[in-house]
Amino acid sequence: MIDPELLVFGLLGFLGLVSVVATYLAITEKNLIKAVLYSAIQSTVYAFIYYLLMAPDIVLVYVPVAVGLYPAVILFLIHKTEKEERD
Amino acid sequence: MINVDPITYLYTVLLLSMAVNLGIALYGIFYRPSLIKKIIALTIFSDTANTFAIIIGYTRWASPSKPVQPPVLTKLNVTRQDITEFASNAVDPLPQALVLTAIVIGLAVTLFLVFLTLQIYRLYKTTDVREIARLRG
Amino acid sequence: MNGRIIGIVVIVLFITLFSLVIALGGLGYDLPMERVRLIARTYLSIAYNPFNRNYTVMSPEVVTSIVWDFRGLDTLFETVVFYLAIIGSVVLARGLKSSPPEKKIESYGLSLIVKTVTRITIGMIIAIAASIALHGHLTPGGGFQGGAVAAIAPLLVLVIFSRYYLENLGVKKNVMLAIRSIGLLGIGLTGFSVLLIGLFSGVNAYVFQNQPKPGAPVGLPYKFNGALISGTLWFFNLFEMMAVAAGFTIVFLLLSIPERDVLEQLKEEADKH
Repeated sequence: MIDPELLVFGLLGFLGLVSVVATYLAITEKNLIKAVLYSAIQSTVYAFIYYLLMAPDIVLVYVPVAVGLYPAVILFLIHKTEKEERD
Repeated sequence: MINVDPITYLYTVLLLSMAVNLGIALYGIFYRPSLIKKIIALTIFSDTANTFAIIIGYTRWASPSKPVQPPVLTKLNVTRQDITEFASNAVDPLPQALVLTAIVIGLAVTLFLVFLTLQIYRLYKTTDVREIARLRG
Repeated sequence: MNGRIIGIVVIVLFITLFSLVIALGGLGYDLPMERVRLIARTYLSIAYNPFNRNYTVMSPEVVTSIVWDFRGLDTLFETVVFYLAIIGSVVLARGLKSSPPEKKIESYGLSLIVKTVTRITIGMIIAIAASIALHGHLTPGGGFQGGAVAAIAPLLVLVIFSRYYLENLGVKKNVMLAIRSIGLLGIGLTGFSVLLIGLFSGVNAYVFQNQPKPGAPVGLPYKFNGALISGTLWFFNLFEMMAVAAGFTIVFLLLSIPERDVLEQLKEEADKH
């Protein structure tokens, strides 16, 4: 059988790589609404990493704050100001 | 031929991807001209710094059938042996308490920055930092 | 598009190969660590310890006992920083009102299906938030977690119905400011409660004290009718949830004033001078 500790660490390494891809796409995107959505995907991956590292209090703070409140406030801001980043 | 411990390799992959996240977020704060993109990059930067603190608190398992525990006791009528076994089998609780405070303070600063950006747009009609620098003098 | 795919592939290859180099070369010590540090073992063994009543907190959830008892003054100042940020936002938007609605209030908002489903889920969200906050000393959770979840409910009503519907229900900015002030007052009073008990019975006591300590033999009870409440921890969680949920609601109410109302009011003020 596979060692369960190896499985947990393998999942952690894979999730780290997924979060790097999501951050790169969020910073280099010109349309600001898509950038906020990529940043919400990166926050979801971080919440899964916190759960695997045995920190349940941090997951309960992080999911409403970084997936619910930050994108809501920044989407209000984008709706009132500009929607595209110029060169 | 190549003998590298796979668990150490995977842990190094996690640490290095967090460091690359930090670098990309810093590039976003300095070199992107829109104020809203700078705010998004600042939130990514502070979240990655909190993740570093929590990674430090994790330990190896004692044996493959006894995984580590989150720092919550599950029995209310404890004996002394239960307490020593819990203390040697659980994850470090102190970084989690400090990260809780750090998340709240980062949230407060970001909310204030959003209101300031809104006020700058109402006065100068743009959120591009190069235009604002040109308008001021 | 091609440039971005090449960038992603280069970064992922760099991470996987460079970490192989680092792991081969050896870091000099074992990663991750084998045992926790001494201070962590101390905190873990005295958080719920009925045999050592002089130093314990009587709460089986170690992170909440560190946040509100062992390092309680840190959390007090974090609450003060959050309060100052909300006050700064209220000052930047002072004097702004939103104009009365033009059509009937029921005709604003999204379609009927969304409104019906939202009416069912709002009650569930508030019930789960109260459970997370009030059980914070027994399970993972606490005041700030419950307050952040409870602030999602007014946001949903604001987006799906409309701002006028929310103000008709009684959720105005001044009411939320009053609830926030009551929450902060409660936190301050609970911090001083054991000191007042010690003052009135002529014994030594400290600020932010929870259970009896050596040299200060007063404290709040840790059981109430057979259920565990861990002294001051339950009251701290309750008041913190009220304060945090009201603070976030104020921010959403201020951000949702339509922009042309704001620009009209700013122009009127500029014309007056």
